[in-house]
Amino acid sequence: MKVAEVAVTLRVNGTSTKLLLDTRVTLLDALRDHLGLTGTKKGCDQGACGACTVLADGKRVLSCLTLAAACADREVTTIEGLADGDTPHPLQQAFVRHDAFQCGYCTPGQIMSAVALLAEGRAGSDDDIREFMSGNICRCGAYPNIVGAIRDVASGAAHDAGDGSAAV
Amino acid sequence: MTTTHAARTVGAGLDRVDGPLKVAGAAPYPSDFSFAGMAHAVLVQATVAAGRIRHIGAAAARAAPGVLAVITHENAPRLERAPGGLTIGPPPPLQDDRVLHHGQHVAVVVAETAEQAAAAARLIDVGYESAVPLLELDDPRAQRVENATGRDVVRGDAAAALAAAPVTIDVTYTTATQTNNPLGLFSTVARWDGDALTVHDSTQGPAFVRTALAVAFGVPESGVRVLAPFVGGAFGAGLRVWQHVLLAALAARVVGRPVKLVLTRAQMFTSVGYRPRTVQRVRLGATGAGELVAIDHEGLEPTALEDEFAESLTRSTTVLYECRNVTARTRQVRLNVACPTWMRGPGEAPGVFALECALDELACRLGIDPVDLRLRNYADVHPQTGKAWTTKALRACYEQGAERFGWSRRTPRPRSMRDGPMLVGYGMASAHYGYVQVPCQARASIDREGIAHVRSAATDIGPGTYTAMTQVAAQALGLPPASVRFGLGDTEMPRAPLQGGSGLTAALGSAVHAACGRLTAAFLDVVADDPGSPLRGCQVEDVTASGGGIWITAQPARGETYPAILTRHGLAELTADGQSARRRDLDGEPAIFGAKFAEVHVDPELGLVRVTRVVAAVDGGRILNEKTATSQITGGTVGGIGMALLEETVSDPGTGRLANATFGDYLVAVNADVPDIDVIFVGEPDPMTPIGVKGIGEIAIVGVAPAIANAVFHATGRRIRSLPITIEQLL
Repeated sequence: MKVAEVAVTLRVNGTSTKLLLDTRVTLLDALRDHLGLTGTKKGCDQGACGACTVLADGKRVLSCLTLAAACADREVTTIEGLADGDTPHPLQQAFVRHDAFQCGYCTPGQIMSAVALLAEGRAGSDDDIREFMSGNICRCGAYPNIVGAIRDVASGAAHDAGDGSAAV
Repeated sequence: MTTTHAARTVGAGLDRVDGPLKVAGAAPYPSDFSFAGMAHAVLVQATVAAGRIRHIGAAAARAAPGVLAVITHENAPRLERAPGGLTIGPPPPLQDDRVLHHGQHVAVVVAETAEQAAAAARLIDVGYESAVPLLELDDPRAQRVENATGRDVVRGDAAAALAAAPVTIDVTYTTATQTNNPLGLFSTVARWDGDALTVHDSTQGPAFVRTALAVAFGVPESGVRVLAPFVGGAFGAGLRVWQHVLLAALAARVVGRPVKLVLTRAQMFTSVGYRPRTVQRVRLGATGAGELVAIDHEGLEPTALEDEFAESLTRSTTVLYECRNVTARTRQVRLNVACPTWMRGPGEAPGVFALECALDELACRLGIDPVDLRLRNYADVHPQTGKAWTTKALRACYEQGAERFGWSRRTPRPRSMRDGPMLVGYGMASAHYGYVQVPCQARASIDREGIAHVRSAATDIGPGTYTAMTQVAAQALGLPPASVRFGLGDTEMPRAPLQGGSGLTAALGSAVHAACGRLTAAFLDVVADDPGSPLRGCQVEDVTASGGGIWITAQPARGETYPAILTRHGLAELTADGQSARRRDLDGEPAIFGAKFAEVHVDPELGLVRVTRVVAAVDGGRILNEKTATSQITGGTVGGIGMALLEETVSDPGTGRLANATFGDYLVAVNADVPDIDVIFVGEPDPMTPIGVKGIGEIAIVGVAPAIANAVFHATGRRIRSLPITIEQLL
């Protein structure tokens, strides 16, 4: 039995890397094991917890259910690519300010989901935030503070919408 | 020595010092570590619950691409079991052909890549000689274990008092098996260098992992280093050293390369413990005025056939209320199940559910307000020993919690409150947890930059230990928190106990406090005969640590900074060690208390329950960081919502196979299940510890499920005595 390999160029956080991968390698494992981007977490490997959420072409995807080989032409953004130089993304700052995590393991996935949520315009109310963030499990139970952090940035983003510098 | 700025440092809601790392994805969890030449291990687990392995066909797996080794009981080396009881050694894996539970590890496949190991593991063919498993609590073949914790209590004569009581309640409650399910998959990365072993592990006690590995492999403990700077949650699952940890180290030994082993989510249900299901009969006897004259609480739960686990379901029953006649017993039954373990609020979370629901039934029967009933039976002293509590603010928990919740708006009759079409229910429950403080050590240094380096081999599984200890050290040394670097999660550091039983913050905080105090004394020693120092000849009682140095308390302008002393004496740094232990000179009973209030909305047509408000009033002694402590109580409340309404690990009654070992099927509370949660801290610093801390990790979840269950009764008039409360029970 021969292992099938595939050459794929992944573009992650603006950097392209050519990889030769076992065809079974998921985007999650490619990020973690082949590109050293361990910020994206594996919580279930079954698409049920949201810890592995990354952006592909600006949309949130579960990287554990996405084959790396299928991402050749996509722009992937991970938690490591959010900051603007040394300045963390407003959501990263808000998560710290609101204590929106405890163990921190689900946090990269929560933040990536929240980034997409704001871009989707689905953070209009607390109930909306709760509903559209329910694909990201936080077993430590930081949900009220996650809502608070997103609400904080969403209201700021709405406020700043006119100058084109809104989050995401 | 006195310290200043207490109000500004300790207690302040300082943002987590490790927060920036965590939000950047830069905090390294065990599975994030990799080494050159590292191989990957995947476990194969038994698909029967009892019997023997007849054969293991591993030829195809061994021939599969990338496979380096397949280890089974047929070729595994003998491993020793570490002594020391519950927390250290698991029964060594792969030592014989017996199968004791579904999901038992029967083989390890090691390959170049994780994909290759997983693929090869699927090629392994295991043949079993099955036996009829012991799976039911009432199986007459099963062995019973009485009073495994030694905490059973027989006080007075509950049977006689029940027989004579004007009012009695006799009810049986059941709670479901729950799986801890931290989001971080438990992982072990092991690397041997000769007889020296380095391990990154998901644990709540690195020192215990070190001991277990050293004994298992017969190597000196000094050569084993265990690291866990970040752990992706645990909720008790990391209090044991589990078999997969030994298997990762074994695999690395066999292939002569570093090995990473990451459990799958399904394996998290069978490999790292769970909260066992319970059956609890509660009998209460009371006067017509609501005075408790008898409590009889019997708890029953499963445990493993050949591994040890113990928790008391009935400990709180013996101390929460003044009552002369109490029988409180917990019994275990040995079954063909994976070993349970402690899960947040072990014993108390299910035990207090039964007790507090029974109290609610009694209140309803007597027509007495549930808060009032508890106040009428308030235990002003410890009911078993008669000693004073070191501190107890449970009365304030009831009063302030009720006030914040608006309990006075509650109309007593079930189904009497509505919000539009929704039935509204208010419920409450008491909470108690007897915390454990065990010895702890810490080390503190200050360097010439004026930076303090404080460390101890503890863990921070999420409560914010890094941050709270930074605050304790900052206050004790008179430094801004930004000048303190707190380190943990490395057995090269001074020994710390397990992060469990709500005891670490008190133990570690006291050790850090002691180390910092001795460090101040060490600085005074250096300048004891120094004519150039304004602190010459000063004793610790004479000085205050403040503003980055030490100052004479009576003459606040006289003193100097730590770097000034180090520089003048040509020292790079000064270091001191400190330790803590439970006070033996204080003749009082320490305990943590709380009162939980919940509002639910129940759809009368669909039976759907939503928790709409929770108020948690907690007496945890001194609170080191209001922000992280509030988060901890909030998180425990979320766990309690899951326990009340969602979480249930289902096993097939015939085979013992788990039917819902995924996050898609084992439901935990998600964002939309959780309302805003109001947390109140009451009480005062507890004299049992130098820093006044009691602990809040368990009290966070205790009492939440009964408050919700009682609210569901109030909303619907339906008394559901089985957790989780599901739609079908309410229809």
